[in-house]
Amino acid sequence: MRHVGAIAGRELRSLFVSPVAYAVLTLFSVLAGFFFLLSVQGFSEAINYYQQIGQFEALRGINLNNQLIGPFIQVMWIVFLFLIPGITMGLFAMEKTNGTEELLMTSPLTMWELVLGKYLAAAAFVTLLILMMGFFPSLLFLDGDTPVLGLLFGGFDLADPDPEGLQTLAGLLGLWLLGLTYAAVGTFASSVTRNQLVAFFLALALLLVLWLLSVVADLGVAEGAAGTATGLASVLTWLSTSDHFDKLARGLIDTRDLAYFGFMIGAFLILTKTAVESVRWR
Amino acid sequence: MIEADGITKRYGDFVAVDDVSFTAEAGEVVGFLGPNGAGKTTTMRILTGFLPATDGTARIAGHDIFSDPLAARRAVGYLPETPPLYPEMDVTGYLTYVAKIKDVPRGQRKAAVESATERCGLADVHRRVIGSLSKGYRQRVGIAQAIVHDPKVLILDEPTVGLDPIQIREIRHLIADLADPEKAAHTIVLSTHILAEVEAICRRVIMIHNGKKVLDQSMAELTEAGESLEDMFARIILREEEAA
Ligand SMILES: Nc1ncnc2c1ncn2[C@@H]1O[C@H](COP(=O)(O)OP(=O)(O)OP(=O)(O)O)[C@@H](O)[C@H]1O
Ligand SMILES: [Mg+2]
Repeated sequence: MRHVGAIAGRELRSLFVSPVAYAVLTLFSVLAGFFFLLSVQGFSEAINYYQQIGQFEALRGINLNNQLIGPFIQVMWIVFLFLIPGITMGLFAMEKTNGTEELLMTSPLTMWELVLGKYLAAAAFVTLLILMMGFFPSLLFLDGDTPVLGLLFGGFDLADPDPEGLQTLAGLLGLWLLGLTYAAVGTFASSVTRNQLVAFFLALALLLVLWLLSVVADLGVAEGAAGTATGLASVLTWLSTSDHFDKLARGLIDTRDLAYFGFMIGAFLILTKTAVESVRWR
Repeated sequence: MIEADGITKRYGDFVAVDDVSFTAEAGEVVGFLGPNGAGKTTTMRILTGFLPATDGTARIAGHDIFSDPLAARRAVGYLPETPPLYPEMDVTGYLTYVAKIKDVPRGQRKAAVESATERCGLADVHRRVIGSLSKGYRQRVGIAQAIVHDPKVLILDEPTVGLDPIQIREIRHLIADLADPEKAAHTIVLSTHILAEVEAICRRVIMIHNGKKVLDQSMAELTEAGESLEDMFARIILREEEAA
């Protein structure tokens, strides 16, 4: 496994001299900021609304975690859906167009070193995105009297003005795992083609299918005779990313969801290894 | 040092390499000749472990390329038909990376990179980004990456393509020096279409046509026969064409 670092390091350095990394980082900050402001706005509108109709009971139930941070983290999946394939599309496809595939495949590397090296580079990038994104919810942890919060909420008095640190971290953990899973899918997509654009759209398609599996399952249950389709439907629902991610994003840590992400990452890395090896059997 | 044993490569019904066997000793420079599409590149790709053979195998420095691939690959330096370069990296960074994945020990990497840079005439451009180099310089970087880990066996697919006459001479000197039995005594297999190159540096000639080995003779015997390499090349290829 000693070559993993060399491969990941080279990949990251190349990523950061290419415009792709900076385009993705810029886009990500803008989109994260935008969605954060949207979440803040939705939150203050909800408070306004409840105050106007005098629902003080409901008002007390509102807190920053469930009505702001959670929805913010949840909506970020769509940003990952488009950006992570952009990061991973070149991982293997570029080696083929460069001709450097011949260097890699004739070097004393194992397939796992190659696949893990590539994947770790993408995983490091995803981690950077999560750290950048953590900036936004952390604003809410500043003391309530600071201008930031005043600016955001126009000086509302919340019954429960302090967000939960652990719940927020759990949500970020969920998004991180989602990003790592998307990186594994993107790595796989890049390993089956020599064209980066094809790798990008293939990853996008795979991720959408994974997300929508649970919707398909719901439709199936609605259409088919109740009871008969449930076996398949529950498998599809389990395979779908959406439910697992939604729970984590809301801050509910369940080992079964963690296991799901571990399973998906492992499965797609094994698929990648098989695809890279199959070069040899052309 | 290289023992190729009945190497065969089929693409569907098409036979690209047909039962090619040969051996090459330490200190020997073997020239692969043959018309376009003869199967030279394919044979080299099999020897370096890039492609699997449909049949047959080979041993590199005693290691079977299929049953002991990592050890075999460690012993080979390979310059593919297109030099395997990352355009965004600089020359030193690239060679250091290659040294890492070729298992050059950490403490020797810097010296290995410097020596390869020096030998391939890259000292002036070692900080330049590879994508900004001319074709000939990129070819030199390709040769440098093949020798950076000081492999016992070198497999070079058209090494002097795109080089200027001075550099061609330098690379030929380099090849002769690497193979020198008194010094490192590397085993070198190179393919080329320049017959003068074969005459200048090869001790043996292997000619391939339509995937088959049609000639395997030492340079000394060939010069003794008195026929120029060019005439012989034409004669053998035309004879084969007629037979087909
Ligand atoms: N992936 C492939 N699928 C089908 N045929 C292939 C494939 N790769 C190579 N070939 C065929 O194998 C034959 C040998 O090709 P190879 O590249 O080994 O020739 P070569 O001797 O190196 O020629 P050149 O002097 O032009 O470099 C050619 O006819 C080529 O078209
Ligand atoms: Mg060739």
